[in-house]
Amino acid sequence: MPKIRKTKVEFEGRIEEREVIVEEEHVETWPRGATLRLVGKPTPRVDGVARVSGRALYTHDVQLPRMLIGRFLRSPHPHARIKAVDSAKAEALPGVALVWHRYHPAPIATLEGREIFPEEVAYEGAEVAFVAARDDRTAEDALALINVTYELLPFAFDLESATAEDAPKVLLDEGNWVSREGDVYQRGDVGTGLGDADEVVELTFTTPIASHCCLETHGSAASWEGDQVTVWHSTQSVFGTRSSVADALGIPMDKVRVISDYIGGGFGSKWGAEPYTLMAILAARETRRPVKAVLGREEEHLAAGYRPGSWQRVRLGAREDGTLTLIEHDAKVATGAFGGGGPVIGGPSKDLYACPNVRTVVRTSRTNADHARAFRAPGYVEGTFALEGAMDALAHKLGMDPLTLRMKNYAEMSPSRGGPYTFKGLRQAYEMGAERFGWSRAVPTDLPNGQGPWRRGRGIASQIWGGGGGPPANAIVRLLPDGTAELSVGVQDIGTGTKTVLTQVAAEELGLPLEAVRCIIGDTLPAPYGPGSGGSVTLASTTPAVRSACREVLRQVIALAAVMLGLEDASVDDFDVERGDIVYRKDPDRRLAFARVTAKMGDYTIVAKGARGPNPDDKAVNTFGAHFAEVAVNVETGQLRVERIVAVHDIGRVVNPLTATSQVYGGVMMGVGYATTEERIIDPATGLQLTANLEDYKVPLVTDTPAIEVLFVDVADTEANSVGSKGLGEPPIIPVAAAIANAVFDAVGVRVTDLPITPDRLLALLSRASNAGFSKEVE
Amino acid sequence: MAMHPFAYANANSLEEAAANLDGETRPLAGGTDLVALMKDGLVAPKRLVNLKTVPGLAGVVAHADGLHIGALTTLSNLASNPELQERRDLAALVEALEESATPQLRHTATIGGNLLQWPRCWYFRNPQVPCWRKGGRRCFAFQGENKYHTIFGGGPCFAPHPSDPSVALMALDASVLVVGPQDRDHRNGFRVVPLAEFFVLPRRDHEWADGYHPVTLLETDEIVAAVVVPQAADGARSAFVKVMERGAWDFALVSAAVSLTMDGNRVAASRVVLGGVAPIPWRANQAEAALRGERVSEDGVARAVRAAVADARPLGHNEYKVALAKQALAQAFRALA
Repeated sequence: MPKIRKTKVEFEGRIEEREVIVEEEHVETWPRGATLRLVGKPTPRVDGVARVSGRALYTHDVQLPRMLIGRFLRSPHPHARIKAVDSAKAEALPGVALVWHRYHPAPIATLEGREIFPEEVAYEGAEVAFVAARDDRTAEDALALINVTYELLPFAFDLESATAEDAPKVLLDEGNWVSREGDVYQRGDVGTGLGDADEVVELTFTTPIASHCCLETHGSAASWEGDQVTVWHSTQSVFGTRSSVADALGIPMDKVRVISDYIGGGFGSKWGAEPYTLMAILAARETRRPVKAVLGREEEHLAAGYRPGSWQRVRLGAREDGTLTLIEHDAKVATGAFGGGGPVIGGPSKDLYACPNVRTVVRTSRTNADHARAFRAPGYVEGTFALEGAMDALAHKLGMDPLTLRMKNYAEMSPSRGGPYTFKGLRQAYEMGAERFGWSRAVPTDLPNGQGPWRRGRGIASQIWGGGGGPPANAIVRLLPDGTAELSVGVQDIGTGTKTVLTQVAAEELGLPLEAVRCIIGDTLPAPYGPGSGGSVTLASTTPAVRSACREVLRQVIALAAVMLGLEDASVDDFDVERGDIVYRKDPDRRLAFARVTAKMGDYTIVAKGARGPNPDDKAVNTFGAHFAEVAVNVETGQLRVERIVAVHDIGRVVNPLTATSQVYGGVMMGVGYATTEERIIDPATGLQLTANLEDYKVPLVTDTPAIEVLFVDVADTEANSVGSKGLGEPPIIPVAAAIANAVFDAVGVRVTDLPITPDRLLALLSRASNAGFSKEVE
Repeated sequence: MAMHPFAYANANSLEEAAANLDGETRPLAGGTDLVALMKDGLVAPKRLVNLKTVPGLAGVVAHADGLHIGALTTLSNLASNPELQERRDLAALVEALEESATPQLRHTATIGGNLLQWPRCWYFRNPQVPCWRKGGRRCFAFQGENKYHTIFGGGPCFAPHPSDPSVALMALDASVLVVGPQDRDHRNGFRVVPLAEFFVLPRRDHEWADGYHPVTLLETDEIVAAVVVPQAADGARSAFVKVMERGAWDFALVSAAVSLTMDGNRVAASRVVLGGVAPIPWRANQAEAALRGERVSEDGVARAVRAAVADARPLGHNEYKVALAKQALAQAFRALA
């Protein structure tokens, strides 16, 4: 029976207590060292062939009879007032079904309280008009025929210009600061921390604006049947999309079905209905034809979010022996014209180390840009770069090994919550990483210092993140008469391998081979609620619900088997399921093959629902990791080669080592890009984005890929949930930039505090250091 | 941005193609630059004449005056040409080809088109920005975001020439064979233009009818038919070095090509060219002068390298290119030492 309970759920650095309905029947947690048949085994993706053979249907692939294509006209100016829109020529163009804009609005003109076509456009790429036409080219031609009269307004293109004394207003009716005093976290006292310190380091860092660069750009398609709409949406949350579509249209949820079978990357940028979603839905209703609207690559850069750039100052105080007395972390970010709150940049400083005096502040300003969005470990990537860079500088100042300094300040208890962790394997991660990497050995000698222009160096950085997940999450399992099963979960696989791990867990629990379980996800129609795939929660939220549903199926099968074995009076708990047999524990000779029971079922289907139980009270559920980087720096050209990353993560039990390893590869690569090549550049004079393409916005390539060695602590977190697993989506990007920058310092003795670490920056730092006669020893 | 409609015709011969060209009818080879410019709405020719149907325009043929490389030869075919692969005097070209773009682009892009690329400057390529090169009044990079821009020869446009092979070809003293109307300098329908003259610095009086300021002296009714690489002196060697921000698919921050002919252990003749630093492949005459009669010693190289950048005039954000140019050159010399 469902019960209402309070449980603490952590999401992207913020902990909230939720009242949730839970109904999990107690499922015994798989103990550490449990012998499992499928879970923990490297398992190729169940949909791998579909993905690589092109059979997998992404939102971009949706093709429906008579389908129209929707496209947007977007503001070419960072800030302007729209005086007039003349769309007569576009409307007259053959093949154009409709044109909507401020003066010819769609039937619904707002989304989440914001006008879709406002009078004041506040960023380059803001929606100005929408066209639906018979094909992409006709739509493009129509856009070119729309004449818009703009009154140009002054703009603020970055944090500095937006927060200056006489800054131009980002929005005419709002102040530029979203939060000038900032989000503040404090424990202890800064003055005390300073007073207790023998050594203090203070560094200022900046991080660039980063684009998500989803391989599949944002997009939706919509088709109506009567009063019901089906929406294909490239999203990290089919259920979130259903709610936001129903809200936007003012129709009941049961009229909305959302499908997202395959998603070409989201990384935090793809959630509920967006302007293109709503326009596609409305245009489909208006024209009685399906409509698809997907963004082009340039639009993806202009209007689909980004990780905000940051300015950060970190001050650390420590006693001579390395004991931290103070962490002070002050950050400023600009989150765009409709700036929401800033990301939790102070998160790592709050929780990574045991320190009595901590103060973190994140101040947020508007800028004339699209609104910033979550991007793979929002705040923690930026914050860890600064904190772990400062820790490295502190270690150097104290003359301590950076790893020793981290061990010295190891937090056994959750510093911000004060209580214990369900499990914390960071110490093991440090030890395993140091061993694999050869941390205690000297720098490898095949490229010795002082010979040729290349210098080698090594650095470490560590990481904390959430990923514990929590309720609500449901699963439905149907056992079919031939002994195969269908598993239905209301989640989506954003590329991490969700479908595969869900299948593994179900097959494990049911005692079936992997092939006998079909997993249906990415569709709101067949499934009960499942969470959005953000905050690394998907696996930890849903797999326990799958176990729970499978247990319920087994109970029903056992009850039938008991009758067939003539044991009507036996309790369900008197039976085990062993290798496809149902076995009476008191007399193991009395057993019955699973398939014989299901064969008896005829056309009957056993259906069971399972739900995610609550998180443990008063214990923190977190993931941890440590990265060890080896780099080579060319002191003549400033080129940086990331040669090797050893990445060790504690995510509890590893359900699928193959996809988990793959996840770490992807996270490390994304981190390498963030650290070394990726940067959104905006022209100060025009406010235009200069890097709105994949030529100037430089994602790393195969040639930039280091050797990546992936290790897992792989100890089941048995108190976290019944599977013992935590999430891995975000952790592998978090420590990458800091580990690389720390390795650069080790190599050439300059502390890089501004990302990305490009040749121009490195050469400037090297030249300043050599002019000042600096060396590593006297930093 | 919508691509404008255009007519399309296959050419049977160069002469036929050239006879049809004007400002609004443009030749199409690999199309890796032209089609992208059209899609971005930066150029809008009314007609395209496809050169890929002209027989004999691709391939490498040895003539008395050197190797003739057909303009339609793709970068990948050229890089894998056995003769080029073997000759140490041409090593710079092979290296430049192999470092250009990506395998996919190299399979499509042609050597003729490579020389005729428009700048990659992010202001030039942005349809919203009316920059000087496109007929506007000023260069937006000069006081704007110019970390990738020129340190030599800039003004009124400060965008560097994007081609890697052109840097190597200029170091190899190559020329282009240009087809055009009989009535203008074209003996037998051809004129031969050394690359050193072919690329032109931005000039206010050098513009096409659409207001664009071209990067070469090619007229709108001319076609590059071939690149001619002259026979080098015995024992000549060359090298090319490219410095990028990532490992591949990146235009050069700086590149350097050096071709050396030795007399014993002293330099008899050299050609030193820098890429990524000027609106055209930049010949470093002072470096060549500094090298003449010298050994390729550490000191000699250092003098040449200093001479090469003596006249550099970096912009607000690209001082580092001066250091990079020195290092790229020094690396090229080291490869030949």
